Amino acid sequence: MSETADHAQAVDSSAGTAEPVLRVSALGKRYSPQGHAALAGVTFDVEDGELLALVGPSGCGKTTLLRLLCGLMLPSEGTVLLHGRPVVRPPREAALVFQDYSRSLFPWLTVLRNVMFPLRRGHSRAWKIDRAEAVLKEMGLHGVARKYPWELSGGMQQRVAIARALVSRPEILLLDEPFASVDALTRAELQDVLLRVHRDVEGRRVTIVHVTHDIDEAVYLADRVLVLSPSPGRVAGSVEVGLPRPRTQTATRSSTHFLEVRNAIHDVISTRRSTIAGTSDKE
Amino acid sequence: MRALGDIWRVLLGVGVFVGALLVWEIWAGAEESFLVPEASEVLTRAWESWPTSEFLTAVAGSLKRLAAGFVIGAAIGITLGLVMGTSRATRQALDPLVELARATPPIAIVPALVLTLGFGDSMRIALIAFGVCFPVLVNTLEGVRAVSPEARDTASMLHVGRVERVFRIYLPAALPSIFAGLRIALSIGLVMVVISEFAGEGGGLGHYILDQQGQFAYPEMYAGILFLGLLGYGLNVLFRLFERRVLAWHYGATGERNG
Repeated sequence: MSETADHAQAVDSSAGTAEPVLRVSALGKRYSPQGHAALAGVTFDVEDGELLALVGPSGCGKTTLLRLLCGLMLPSEGTVLLHGRPVVRPPREAALVFQDYSRSLFPWLTVLRNVMFPLRRGHSRAWKIDRAEAVLKEMGLHGVARKYPWELSGGMQQRVAIARALVSRPEILLLDEPFASVDALTRAELQDVLLRVHRDVEGRRVTIVHVTHDIDEAVYLADRVLVLSPSPGRVAGSVEVGLPRPRTQTATRSSTHFLEVRNAIHDVISTRRSTIAGTSDKE
Repeated sequence: MRALGDIWRVLLGVGVFVGALLVWEIWAGAEESFLVPEASEVLTRAWESWPTSEFLTAVAGSLKRLAAGFVIGAAIGITLGLVMGTSRATRQALDPLVELARATPPIAIVPALVLTLGFGDSMRIALIAFGVCFPVLVNTLEGVRAVSPEARDTASMLHVGRVERVFRIYLPAALPSIFAGLRIALSIGLVMVVISEFAGEGGGLGHYILDQQGQFAYPEMYAGILFLGLLGYGLNVLFRLFERRVLAWHYGATGERNG
């Protein structure tokens, strides 16, 4: 925690409710100085409590963008500001959930110990166990604390991964195609888990950036969908979803509003070459 | 059906083993030379000579050296493997040296070890450690390098420090690979024990076998060799049991049955 002290001083004192949590400006990434750009001129904001979905075809730099957002990688151009301060290393306010739970969870640790892993110095063991058990319960995981991740179904494992991400109470949750490796029924179930987390996890709202290649999923979950186009990755458009919450798999998905938003996103993707990056993004 | 097939396979294995003993028995019986004793004679002498204090002392000496050399070699191998696996600079610096040392047949360094360490136990333990070290090192290195990018990113996201990362992520993640290396190293270690005991007067099973040969006690010599085979087999079984305990999570996760 002491490492964040210097950052805390840098917080803009004028920061009010209007200040975005994340501000991404003219972000570009090249993996080698002469190589082609994976991302170029990406600009957008993420508001406090917003659920933003990033969609785009493979190779549009979604994962690169996510890694830049959470400081696992440094940009070649532009900046990522979290509460007004540049992200140069993984911020403690952010947590990341990966697509492949079987590789991100530690197979040698029980579920409980996996979830306890982020909780480190400065707390008693009993407190950590209580904390981890509380989050597991929150994620609807009962009686699995002493099991190993591989003893659970894929959907349950991804719940454990989300629990591990939430255990240190992050302000912002970043998810990289988190439901791409589970079956359709489990995916729907996990989408609802995520909506619940977004609405209220232990009495607060979490800001979420959700990367997916599933447009329907993006519309179902998000407040706003940012469409990326490939080579190099750019923002092709931003679509406000505006569907009422709480959302349900049946009512929300069968509404005409849902279909309109979905079609609008398809339009952005098919006409992306003639669209100027980011112009439809209004604040 | 399946169970019957299994029984049949076991019976076949036992049958071939007994058959080989019979061939040996008949062949040695037909042979006039006393250089090749019959299987039955070797087994009788084994029964008589194994419980003697001379033999048991030799076994104890060999096991002590094996344990010391194995622990030292494994510790060096795991440490170097972890360091080389986590630090590219160290890997690049040590790579040529390790590759050369690894390609050198351990037996070739015996004369050099005798010169520097003498004929005593330190020479023997050093030789065993040398033979054990490299398979462990290579497997540890491979295991660390195979740690998933997701696990590395998780560590970065959580600000897990360099040293803590080694012990909380790289070491456990590499453990299945390390154990594979240790198992190979155990058999190499036994070879090194016997070879090291052929040199000098330090006792041990290798020395015992050579000694029996020198005294024309050929059945006892064969009994010693037989014991080494059984010892190697037994150590491997024990090691696998230990491995199953330590790596229970791994066998569960991969659904692997035969390690």
